[in-house]
Amino acid sequence: MSASGFDNADFQAALVHELKNHLGLLGMTLERIPRCGDPAHDEPLDAARLLCEDVTDRLRQALWLYKSNRGPLSPNVDAYSPHDLIAELAARARALARDRFDVEIRLADDLPAVAFLDRDLVEMAMMNAIQNSLAYARRRIALEADARDGWLVLTVRDDSDGYPAHVLDSMAAGKPYRSHGTGLGLQFARLIAQLHENRGRSGALELANDSGAVFRLRLP
Amino acid sequence: MPPADPASQPIDYGALRALVVDDYQGMRNALRLTLSNFGILKVLAVANAAEALFQIRNKSYDFILCDFNLGEGRDGQQLLEELRHDHLIPLEAVFMMVTAESFYEKVVATAELAPDDYLIKPFSAELLRSRLESILLRKRAFGEAYRHFANQDLEAAIAACDALVKAHPKYVVDALRFKGELLVTLGRFEEAEALYKQVIEMRAIPWARLGLARALHMQQKDDAAEEELRDVLERAPEMVSAYDLLSDVCVAKKDTAGAQEALERGIAISSRTVRRQQKLGELAYANGDLDTARTAYAAAIDKGRHSIFVTPDDYGNLCRVQAEQGDFKAVADTLKQNRNILQSTAEGRLVAAVTQSVMHTQAGRRNEAARAIDEAAALRAEGARGDPRLMLDLAGACMAGDRHDEADSIVAEVARNAHDSESLLAKARKLYDEAGRADAGASVLSSATADVRRLNNEGVVLAQKGDFRTAAEKLLVACEAAPYNPRIAMNAVWVILKHIDKSGMDEPMIESAHQYLTAAERQAPGHPRLAGLRRSMKEIEQRYGIRRQSA
Repeated sequence: MSASGFDNADFQAALVHELKNHLGLLGMTLERIPRCGDPAHDEPLDAARLLCEDVTDRLRQALWLYKSNRGPLSPNVDAYSPHDLIAELAARARALARDRFDVEIRLADDLPAVAFLDRDLVEMAMMNAIQNSLAYARRRIALEADARDGWLVLTVRDDSDGYPAHVLDSMAAGKPYRSHGTGLGLQFARLIAQLHENRGRSGALELANDSGAVFRLRLP
Repeated sequence: MPPADPASQPIDYGALRALVVDDYQGMRNALRLTLSNFGILKVLAVANAAEALFQIRNKSYDFILCDFNLGEGRDGQQLLEELRHDHLIPLEAVFMMVTAESFYEKVVATAELAPDDYLIKPFSAELLRSRLESILLRKRAFGEAYRHFANQDLEAAIAACDALVKAHPKYVVDALRFKGELLVTLGRFEEAEALYKQVIEMRAIPWARLGLARALHMQQKDDAAEEELRDVLERAPEMVSAYDLLSDVCVAKKDTAGAQEALERGIAISSRTVRRQQKLGELAYANGDLDTARTAYAAAIDKGRHSIFVTPDDYGNLCRVQAEQGDFKAVADTLKQNRNILQSTAEGRLVAAVTQSVMHTQAGRRNEAARAIDEAAALRAEGARGDPRLMLDLAGACMAGDRHDEADSIVAEVARNAHDSESLLAKARKLYDEAGRADAGASVLSSATADVRRLNNEGVVLAQKGDFRTAAEKLLVACEAAPYNPRIAMNAVWVILKHIDKSGMDEPMIESAHQYLTAAERQAPGHPRLAGLRRSMKEIEQRYGIRRQSA
C-alpha cells in the first residue's frame, strides 16, 4: 500500500483493464462506421481502423513482455488446423483492408490437417506482418501455409517495395532493433518464433524481398 | 436430388440465441451490436453471474460470451464451473470466455473447467466472428458424438469419435480428447492411457500429459502419475489442474504433506476455486495445520459467496478450527456474520446449533449448551444431517451435558455410515475416552458397525456363491441402516446389477440401485469404483430399454 491509500499494483491492473475495454470498444465502434465512397471520409476512417488495430497489438505485446519480466515465457501449444488459421487471418486481413487490397490464400496440397502451435502468439505475429503489408503494399497480399520436413511454414507476402536493406541486415545478423514501428513488430515476431520448440528444434523468422516483402515464420 | 450434406450448410446465425455476460455497460452494448451484425438477432446481455444463471436456468442459449472479470460477485470461471456442474449447458452450446490475458488458458486445462474457446481482450469483431464460426462448425461435426453422450450411450459416442477422426482429420486431436474423457468415465483406464500416449507422440501437449497422469492414477500407478505431473509442472508451473491431480495422487500414496503442498502451490496461482480451498482445508486439518486449514476454509466461504459449492458444512469446518485454536470470538463472529445464510436451511441451523453447543460447553454455560443441543436434536429429528465430524461434535457436547443416550445414538449413526473410516472411528473413540466411558464407547462402536459389517459381509459371501438376489436384499437392509455409507451403497449397486444380469429385470431393485449409486457419487465423488458401476448400470439399462434423462 502506498501512502496515498492506493495499492499501486491493483491500481495499475485496474487502469490496464479499463484501457483494454476502451480500446476494444473503440475498435468495435470504428468497425461499425460504413464507408461511403467519398475519399475525404473513407481514407481517414481506414487509417483510424488500422491505427486502432495497431495500438491494440502494441498494447498486447507490451503486456506480454511485461509479464515476461516476472517469469519465463512459455508458449501455450495446442492442436490447430493450419487451414483454419490462415482462413481466419485472411478474414481479419480482409476486414481491415476492406476493398483496397486483394487478400489471397495459398495452401500447400500436403499441408497437414493439424499443426501444433500457440495460436494467440502466432496470430499476433502474423497480424503484425499483415498490418505492415497493409501499410506498404500496392494492391496484393498473399497468406501462405506450407509444410516442409516437419516444419510448418507460414508466410505473408505482398507487392510492396520490400523491406529496407537495414532491416534485412540486422535480421540476418540477429541484432536487436533500435528502430520503431516495423522493427518492433518484427523483433516481437522473431521472439514468438523462437519460443516454439519441438524435439530440440526451435522456430525462426525469415525475411526476404521477392517482388515485395516476404515475412516467413518457420515453426517446428 | 440427394439431400444436401448438412455439414456443408452455412451456419444459420439467425437461429442462434446468444447471451452476453459483461459487467461493463458499454461493452454489453457494443457486443450486442457486433453480434447482431453477424446476423444473431436474439441477443440478451446481463451484467453478472447471478443474472446469467437465472437466464440460463430459464431458457437455453446456443452461445454464451462471458467476460472473466465480472466485478463484484462470482467471476466468469466460477459461473462456468457452476453451469457445468449443474449440467446447465449442453455440449452443443458454445461458451466463450473473454479474458484479460493469455495466462488464463493455461490455468484451466481440464475439460470440465475449460470454456470452448477464449478471446483475449481487446479483440476485433472479425476475430470473434472467425472463432465463433469455427467452434460452431466443430460442434456440428461432433453432433452425433454429443447426441450419444446426452443419451448416456458412451460406447456409441466413442464410435462416433472414431468415425470423426476418419471423416474430419482436422478434428483428430479434439476427437481424441473427447474420446479420452469418455474412456475415463467408462473406467477404461488402460485404453485412456494408450490414447493419451498416442496424442503425446504427436506432441506433448500439457492437457494430454495431464490426461495420461489421471489414467495412471486411476490404475493405482501413482508413482508413474506423480513423475508425469512433476515433469509437466516443471515446464508449465501455472497449470493449476495439475496441482489438483498431484494432490490426489499424493493422498493415494498416503503422502498427506505432499498433497497439502501441491494444493497450496495451485492456490498460490488461482485462489478463487471454492472446491480447491475446501480440499486444502480438509488436508491441512487432517495434517494438524490449523492455521492453513482456517485460512482455506475462510477463503472457501469468502470466494464462494452465493456459490453452489459452499455448503453449511464449510461454516461448521471453519468454526471447528477456530474453536480448536481457542479463538471463540472468531467462532462467534463467523456465526454472526453468516447468520442469514445459516438460518435459511435446516442444515445451516444444525451447524449453528452444534457450534453453539460446543462453545457453550467449553465456556461452562450448561443451560445455554443444553438449549443448543435441544435445538440440534430437534433438527436431527426432522431429518437434518451434517458431515460426520459435525455430528461427532454434537455427540461430544451431549456427553459433556450427561446426555449419554443421545450421544450414543449419534455416534452409532456416524459409525454405521463410516464403518470403515479409521479416522472417524478414532475420533469417536477419543470422545468416549475423554468422557471416561471408554468401555461404553467400544460397545457402541462395535455393535453399530457390527450390523452393517455383518449384513455387508453376508451379502458379499452370498454374491460370491452366486445368490445375487438374497445378497442384494441383505445389502439393501444395510443401506437403509447406513444411508450415507458410500461403500455399502456401491456394494449394493454391484450386487443388484449382478442379480439383474443373471435373472432378468427387477424394477424395484434397479430403482434402488440407481438411487444408491447417485448417493454414493455424492458422498464419495471420484471414487475409483464409481465409473465402472455407472458403466454397468448403463449397460443393464440399455439392455432393458430403460431411458433416463441425462444426469
